[in-house]
Amino acid sequence: METLANGNNTAAAAGPTTAAAAIAAAAAAAAAPSSKLSQLAESLKLEHQFLRVPFENYKKTIRANHRIVEKEVSAVVSGVSDAADNGELSAVEQLNSLVSRLQGLKRKLEEGSRTEHLQAQRCRARLDHLESADADNLSEWSDTRLKRILVDYMLRMSYYDTAIKLAESSNIMDLVDIDVFNEAKKVIDALQNKEVAAALAWCTDNKSRLKKSKSKFEFQLRLQEFIELVRAENNLRAIAYARKHLAPWGATHMKELQRVMATLAFKSSTDCATYKVLFEPKQWDYLVDQFRQEFCKIYGMTFEPLLNIYLQAGLSALKTPFCYEDDCTKEDPLSQESFRKLAQPLPFSKQHHSKLVCYITKELMDTENPPLVLPNGYVYSTKALEEMAKKNNGKITCPRTGLVCNYSEVVKAYIS
Amino acid sequence: MELNTIRDAFDRVAKKQKLSTSKSLEVIDQVGQVIEQALANIQSIQGPTSPADHKSILMELKTKLNAISPNNQLEGSQKELNTNLSKYQKTIEKYFNPDISKAYRNVDYDPHILNHIIVSHFYRVGLFDVADCLINEAGEPEVVSIKLRFRELHRILEAMRARDLKPALYWASTNRESLNHVGSNLELKLHRLQFVEILQSGTQGDALNYARTHLSPLAPLHMDEIQKLMGCLLWVGKLDKCPYSELFSENHWEKLAEELTRQFCSFLGQSYKSPLSVALAAGVEGLPTLIKLANVMAVKKQEWQAMKQLPVPVDLGKEFQFHSIFVCPVSREQGSEENPPMQLPCGHVLCKQSIMKLSKSSTRTFKCPYCPHEASVAQCKQLYF
Repeated sequence: METLANGNNTAAAAGPTTAAAAIAAAAAAAAAPSSKLSQLAESLKLEHQFLRVPFENYKKTIRANHRIVEKEVSAVVSGVSDAADNGELSAVEQLNSLVSRLQGLKRKLEEGSRTEHLQAQRCRARLDHLESADADNLSEWSDTRLKRILVDYMLRMSYYDTAIKLAESSNIMDLVDIDVFNEAKKVIDALQNKEVAAALAWCTDNKSRLKKSKSKFEFQLRLQEFIELVRAENNLRAIAYARKHLAPWGATHMKELQRVMATLAFKSSTDCATYKVLFEPKQWDYLVDQFRQEFCKIYGMTFEPLLNIYLQAGLSALKTPFCYEDDCTKEDPLSQESFRKLAQPLPFSKQHHSKLVCYITKELMDTENPPLVLPNGYVYSTKALEEMAKKNNGKITCPRTGLVCNYSEVVKAYIS
Repeated sequence: MELNTIRDAFDRVAKKQKLSTSKSLEVIDQVGQVIEQALANIQSIQGPTSPADHKSILMELKTKLNAISPNNQLEGSQKELNTNLSKYQKTIEKYFNPDISKAYRNVDYDPHILNHIIVSHFYRVGLFDVADCLINEAGEPEVVSIKLRFRELHRILEAMRARDLKPALYWASTNRESLNHVGSNLELKLHRLQFVEILQSGTQGDALNYARTHLSPLAPLHMDEIQKLMGCLLWVGKLDKCPYSELFSENHWEKLAEELTRQFCSFLGQSYKSPLSVALAAGVEGLPTLIKLANVMAVKKQEWQAMKQLPVPVDLGKEFQFHSIFVCPVSREQGSEENPPMQLPCGHVLCKQSIMKLSKSSTRTFKCPYCPHEASVAQCKQLYF
C-alpha cells in the first residue's frame, strides 16, 4: 500500500485540483515491480503502427482489386443487356469482345492477388518480428528497433535515399514502410513543384476514407488551383473552375470559399493582408503539411516521427537537475549539449524513492550493495570499499577528498 | 502479449481474402462460360440466320446471367472479408496502444540538432555510408574530426573480427600513457591474446620470439601475467590440459573489443554507448507510463504541456541511473544543496528540513521515524553521494 500513499502525496503536491485518485492509480501501476520481460511486453504494445501500416496497405489493395472486378463484371453484364436489347447482327462481335474483356480481367485479378499475397506476407513478417523478441536477443532486437525508428524518421523528413540505404544495409526492408511512403513522395514532390494533379489523384484514390474523416484537403487543393488561375489573371477560367470545383463545398465551407472568391477583385498584387497571404508561396508548404497529416491519418501513423516521440519520452524520464552539472557522467546522454537543447522545454523526471549510484563503480546502491558512509560523510558502495580495503590492507581513501580511514570506521546508511 | 490471438485474426483475414479472390475468379468463369455458350449457339445455327434467333439466344443469355447474379455473389464474399478486416483492425487496436503520441509535447525543436545527433550515431556504429547519405540529403555539415576517429575505431574492430590485432596493438602503444594513467592494462591483454594466438597456431619458437620482443618491456608492471604466459610454452600441443586454459577461451576477443571501445570512446570524451540509443531505450521504457499519465490528465491538456516536473515517477532500469538522487522518506522531497540528506546516529537518513521539523528547529531531541532511537540535531551528519 505504500506506493499508493506516495501517489496520493504527489498528486496533492502537483496541484490540489488534479484527479488525485486517478493519478495515484497510474503511479501505482507504474511503480509495480517489473522484470525485463514484462517491460518488453509493455514496450511491444507501443508497436501499433508497425502492424497497422502494412495492414492498411493490404486492405487498400484488396479494396482496389475488388472494385476493378465489380466494375468490369457489371460492365460485361450490361454489355450483354445492350446486345440483347438492340444488337442483332453485331451480337457476335459484341459477345466476343466481352469474352476477351473477361479474360483481361482474369489476368488483372491474378496479378492483383499476387500483390495481395506479398502484402499479406509483409503483415506476417511484422508479427513474426514482434514474436521473435525475447530476453536472449533483446539487445539485438532493440538495435533493430532503433534502425526501424530511424528509417521512419528519414521517410517522414523526405530523406528517402538515406532511408533506403539504412534499411537495405541493415536488411530490414520488410520491417519498414518505404513502399507506402513512395506513394507520399510522388504527391509531395509534385506539391513542391506547385502541381496539384498528383494530390488530387491521391484524393480520388482515397475518397471514401477522406470523406469519412471529413477531410477538406481536396477543397484546399482546389482553392490553391483557383488562386493560381487568379494569379495568372485567367479570370474567366477561374470563375468556371470555381463553379465546377469549389461550389460543391459551399454547403460546408462557405466562409473560405467567399474569401477566395474575393481575390478576383483584389488580384495577386494586392496589399490587403487577408488576401495577400493567399498568394504567398508558403501556402504550398502548408499544403504539403496538410497532405502529410492526411496521409498519416489514413495509414494509422502518428503525425510526429516515432523518433521524436520516443526521444522526448526518454529525455523527460532521464532529465534531472544533476544532468546539467559540470561533473555529469559522459554516459548520460544529457551530458551532451545537443541532447540538453532538445530536453530544454521538457519537464524534469520525478522520483519517489532514492536512487543512489556509487561514485566509484557507478553501480546502483541497494540492499545487495548497500551504501557505506565514511567519517567525512561521503558515501560509496560496499562493493567499491570492500575491494579498496582488500587491496590496501583495510585502508580506505576517499577519492573526492583524499581522506584516509580504516574500513572498520565506515558505517552503513539506511535509505528507505 | 496475445500475439497468437492477433495472428489468428490475421490468418482469418488472409483466408477470406483468398476465398474472395477464388470466388471472383469463379464468377468471372461462370459469366464467361454462359457467354461463350451463347456464342456457340449463335454460330451453330446453320443457314440464313434470322434476327429472331439471335434475339432469343441473347434473351436466354440475359436470363442466365440474371440467375447467376454475379454482383451479388461478389458482394457476398467481399462482405465476409470486410467483417474480418475490421475485426483484425479492432484486435490490434485492443492489444496495442493505437496512439503513442498522446504524451507528446508539441514543442519546437531544431531539426539540425536531431540530424547532427543521428549523424554522430551512424559514425559511432560504423554506418559511414548512411551518415554521408544523410549529410547530403539533409544538407548538414560534416563532423570530420569525429568521423575520422570513429573510422579508426571501426578499422581496429574490423581487424579484430578478422583475428588481426596489429591495428589494436598500434593504437594501444600510441596511447600507452593515457591507458596507464587510467590504470588500464589493455596493452598487456592485447599482447597476451596475440601470444596465445601464436601458441595455438605457430611454433614454440615464434611464441618465444614474440614474448622476447613484446612481453619483456611490460615485465616491470605485469610480472605475474608474463610468468603464466611463459608457463604455457610447456603445454604447446596439449594446450587444453594447460592449467591456464582459461587464457584460450574464445570470448577474450569479444571482451577485449569491448574494453578497447570503452577506452577509445572515453579518450574521445564520448560515452561508451551511443547516447541516441540510450535515450531512445529510456523512451521505450518510459513511454507506457507517460501515456497512462497523459490519459488520466487528458482533461487538463494545458497542465500537461506546461508542467515543470512530471507528477509521477517514470521507472527506468538500472542502466539509466546516472545520478544519485536522494528522496527524503518523510517529506518525499528530492535532496538538494539547500536541503541535503543527513544521517541520524542510528544510521537512517532524512533530509535536513525533515530533521528541522522533527526537532522543532533543533530545540529538542526527537525520535527517529524508523526506529526507536532518540537523536539530536547535533548528532546528525550531512551525507555526500
